[in-house]
Amino acid sequence: MNILANFLFSGLDLAGLPRFPFMLPLCLSIAIVYKTARCYNLKELPAAALILWVTIVSGMVLVGVGLWVVFTLLA
Amino acid sequence: MSQSETPASIRIPIAGLLAWLVPGLGHLYIGDRGRGLVFMITISATFWAGITVGGAGSTIDPQHRKLWFTAQLLTGAQSLVAVAIHQKAIASYPPSEQTPIIGHWLSIDVGTHYTGVAGLLNLLVILDAIFCADPATRNRLAAANSKGSAAT
Repeated sequence: MNILANFLFSGLDLAGLPRFPFMLPLCLSIAIVYKTARCYNLKELPAAALILWVTIVSGMVLVGVGLWVVFTLLA
Repeated sequence: MSQSETPASIRIPIAGLLAWLVPGLGHLYIGDRGRGLVFMITISATFWAGITVGGAGSTIDPQHRKLWFTAQLLTGAQSLVAVAIHQKAIASYPPSEQTPIIGHWLSIDVGTHYTGVAGLLNLLVILDAIFCADPATRNRLAAANSKGSAAT
């Protein structure tokens, strides 16, 4: 019970690269909710959400790499 | 009077209010069980994952992150529970510490984004519940789908 209380009060200690994977579930959540609202037939949901999730993550990685290249060139 | 016989003028605000109170409950009320359960599980999991990562002591901060807090409030009853945990966490600190930062700043940022996005997603769900609670709209969507023009 104390462990749960500590987690809820103070959270995890994140630093450096381990923070990046946290983007993946958040994007998945956005993709699922958006596609659940949009798809009339729920059977289409898993495939549609997966495609949207891959699109969001790829887009963000591309933007991140692009900005990193620009800042590296400008530095 | 059964739920399907309830006039739209009552059905629509009730669906919106329930959707705010618990994510997905508005859809369950209008009879869209599958969609309601997906919304409920996804948004609640996102919100509580954010609280776990950032800690309620700092992730929910009505004083210093007003805009994020507004977004977090859109998750309804869950955000109120999180506010209660936040108040308890703050109360455990001495009164001299006006802005206690409990936890790592990076975790707090990740947690704030998770909980804020969960609230904004629930806004989409609330609007969808209000939209679908209107029988005329539902019939129009069903007709559009049967013609093969389903929105994806």
